[in-house]
Amino acid sequence: MNVIECNQLTKTYGRFNALINLSFTIKENTITGIIGRNGAGKTTLLKILAGFFRETKGEVKVFEEKPFNSLLVSANSIYIDEYMNYPTSLTLVDILHQNSRFYEKWNAQLANRLFDYFSLQPKQHYNRLSKGQKNTFNAIVGLSSRCALTIFDEPTTGMDASVRKDFYRALLKDYLEHPRTILISSHHLDEIDDLIEEVLLIKNGEKHLHKPVEELKEYAIGVQGPEAAITQWTAEQQVIHCRSLSPGTSYAVVENHFSAALKAEATRMGLHFSPVTASDVCVYLTHQNKGGIDDVFNKY
Amino acid sequence: MILNTDGTKPIYVQIAEWIEREILQGDFKPDDKVYSQYQLADMFNINPATAGKGLTMLVDEQILYKKRGLGMFVSDEAHNMIRHKRINHTLKKLVQEIVEEAAHLQVGEKELFTMIQEAGGNREGGEG
Repeated sequence: MNVIECNQLTKTYGRFNALINLSFTIKENTITGIIGRNGAGKTTLLKILAGFFRETKGEVKVFEEKPFNSLLVSANSIYIDEYMNYPTSLTLVDILHQNSRFYEKWNAQLANRLFDYFSLQPKQHYNRLSKGQKNTFNAIVGLSSRCALTIFDEPTTGMDASVRKDFYRALLKDYLEHPRTILISSHHLDEIDDLIEEVLLIKNGEKHLHKPVEELKEYAIGVQGPEAAITQWTAEQQVIHCRSLSPGTSYAVVENHFSAALKAEATRMGLHFSPVTASDVCVYLTHQNKGGIDDVFNKY
Repeated sequence: MILNTDGTKPIYVQIAEWIEREILQGDFKPDDKVYSQYQLADMFNINPATAGKGLTMLVDEQILYKKRGLGMFVSDEAHNMIRHKRINHTLKKLVQEIVEEAAHLQVGEKELFTMIQEAGGNREGGEG
């Protein structure tokens, strides 16, 4: 069953197109990474799915309903980001309690255990927490709600490395026991690529690709060697990324569809192949131009 | 086992190879039940779909067989099949790489052969 179905979804703010003709579906009980550069439209998409924003054009269905103004979607989904708004008069423990009243599947035991593990203080006030602590608390709320659709928008901002690791591990363990549909947006695909099943890559408001992460890991291949050989070798390929390494040698990333024989031949020409991580593929695919930051400094 | 996440080998392949190693070492015998995709996901901290893909790979190669609703089990011929696969693919490929590197460094066949014998000698010495 599909929990999310988008068809030609478009969102505009004035003249600015935040999302353009986005069509995709998300299967029930999967973890999907929503990946894209700053300003690509990740948050806009996630807020439309959670029912916070209304779409401009196209169709969006969550649990087979339009999410905007839907009680069904509201009761069965949770959207977590770093700007959660809680009444300042409530302590952390009060906030947890209020959440438990709203979310039918709320698990207080999990909430309390995570709360203790991450050393939060029950009587503390949310607005006094550091950025990392706020996001840790938000993550606890997101996990404990056990909503059928759980959306984490950049959940680990400000968390230290060890909390991040613990959070992702907690997410996986609770998902294994209580499968649900989870969306996580992140700049850091390398942090979540083992955790997620699929990647939805958004570039300038458009869907760039939507693939199982295991396919994305084999999507591209890096090749390095003498510049002339690289140029010759990649002449008929779609070059995803290219840069020079040292004078006379360069590195190119191309789609991975070479036979073993072809690779062996290239190896004899002095070329070396190397894998390209899913994270790097996403960075290269979403680059505005092929050169990169070095070009800024080359044009003096 | 700690997974290698630098992208040189897909995670599901590493999972499949790990189970193969367990079978080769005799930790899993014919008709033993192997780990479920959920157990593997928890053990290696990966998405269960990735773990499932590793198991499916072994089912496709008939190293494991599926019993509906019960899980995956080791097939009778698993040990032999894995051994043959490793010799025909992994070992041959390694030899190919060694030969190519030797050619690149202009190391002759004789010298290379001596090196292999020495490595074998070290191994026997090490074990004895």
